[in-house]
Amino acid sequence: MTHSLHREGSNESLDKDYVVFIYPARGYNYKGCAPKVRRLVEIVYQVGPANMIATTLRKNMYSGVKPDDVLNSIEEGCRVFTVFNSRKKLKELLSAFKAADEGISIVVSGLIDRVREIGAEVGLDPHTINLSLGIHGGTEHLPSAEIRQFTTMCGHAMIAPKLVEDIIRQVKTGKIDTWNGSLALAKPCACGIYNPYRSQELLDKLSPLYTVARW
Amino acid sequence: MIVFKDVCVGCGRCQPYCPAGAIYFEDCRSTVDQESCFECGTCLRSGVCPVDAIREPANVYEYPRALRKYFSDPTSTHAVTGIQGRGTEESKTNDVTLRCGPGKIGIAIEIGRPTLGMGLRDIQKITRALARNGIHEIEPNNPINSMILDPQTGDLKPELLGERVLSAIIEMQVKKEQLAEILQAIKQVSPELDSVFTLDVTTLLEPGLTIPPDILATIEAEGFAWRPNAKINMGLGRVTE
Repeated sequence: MTHSLHREGSNESLDKDYVVFIYPARGYNYKGCAPKVRRLVEIVYQVGPANMIATTLRKNMYSGVKPDDVLNSIEEGCRVFTVFNSRKKLKELLSAFKAADEGISIVVSGLIDRVREIGAEVGLDPHTINLSLGIHGGTEHLPSAEIRQFTTMCGHAMIAPKLVEDIIRQVKTGKIDTWNGSLALAKPCACGIYNPYRSQELLDKLSPLYTVARW
Repeated sequence: MIVFKDVCVGCGRCQPYCPAGAIYFEDCRSTVDQESCFECGTCLRSGVCPVDAIREPANVYEYPRALRKYFSDPTSTHAVTGIQGRGTEESKTNDVTLRCGPGKIGIAIEIGRPTLGMGLRDIQKITRALARNGIHEIEPNNPINSMILDPQTGDLKPELLGERVLSAIIEMQVKKEQLAEILQAIKQVSPELDSVFTLDVTTLLEPGLTIPPDILATIEAEGFAWRPNAKINMGLGRVTE
């Protein structure tokens, strides 16, 4: 999950993409954390995530899994990875997390300026920051920045550039719409932080610009 | 991963799912280039094969090939760290662990990301460069520790050097004063790499999500820039054990 801070895209697009982690710490607040994590996940559902996974179930929101299945799977040490598609929802979530005061580490991965604003509005004083200093090395081998906007939405790089190109081809040829194309892209993401709402916007924007090599 | 040729119907649906681009047509059937495959299991988990021709090979947990799976398949639990994934919890629980405390900086070099993956020789290039600059200690719970033959030189165990993984993270905690020299070492080794890496710096925040100005000044002075998005621990954790 280290990679969520390297999500790529314009600030406008990233403003619709806030990853949130619920993270009990082994040896510090692990024992007895299950009901606390469960309460936090209930809040996540109330606010309305764009995607989510609990490490005890490993199935994202679009796999057919029901909220009760996720909640019932939560046991000691369960970590939760989720993503929200608006600043408003992030504020609502953090406000409710603060009120719940469960004592479990909460991490937001997103635009620093926005998180600073929301933190001030909600009355939170963030503790630690993990800054991204970008990509280095043989960058000439990378796929285009446009494709990386999709692939970097998975925290483990499970979304292949060729799959993005294939979905664009399917959209262009009318075999799939941009929402279902986004769900297809979300499927390989085992960490549950692929944001299909942002992905749909990107597909809507990019598809007209691409040509297809085969029908 | 392997595709059973006798079972495969040659539809090619699995091919775009491979992050390594390792699946290709041979004799009108899909086949996996074993040298390129990271054993991440994405092709199998995608469930797109209509005839269940994709399987895990028998040698997937055999050393040293097992490293491919441990470092590339997020659903596998690393045999050394006992946790899922390639790194540690770094900044995510720092509000309770204070692993990266006052006067300290966390540095993470994530090799192979985004997208490309890498040969383990690229890790050695970096661990050697760090060792030359006096950095011999990698985060104790990081799985890369178990791969190092000699911390003084940064050499990896030779039997590992032919392996490829989707990514691996070199994590370290250093004194704030060491940040500049480490960034210089990283910058120096960067052109030698075949693959890419992403670079992270972790620090405690000052009130109001203020990033310590001296840290930002050092980053800028060494010719790096920080992206507008970051991972931020919101300070809601509490020690209860």
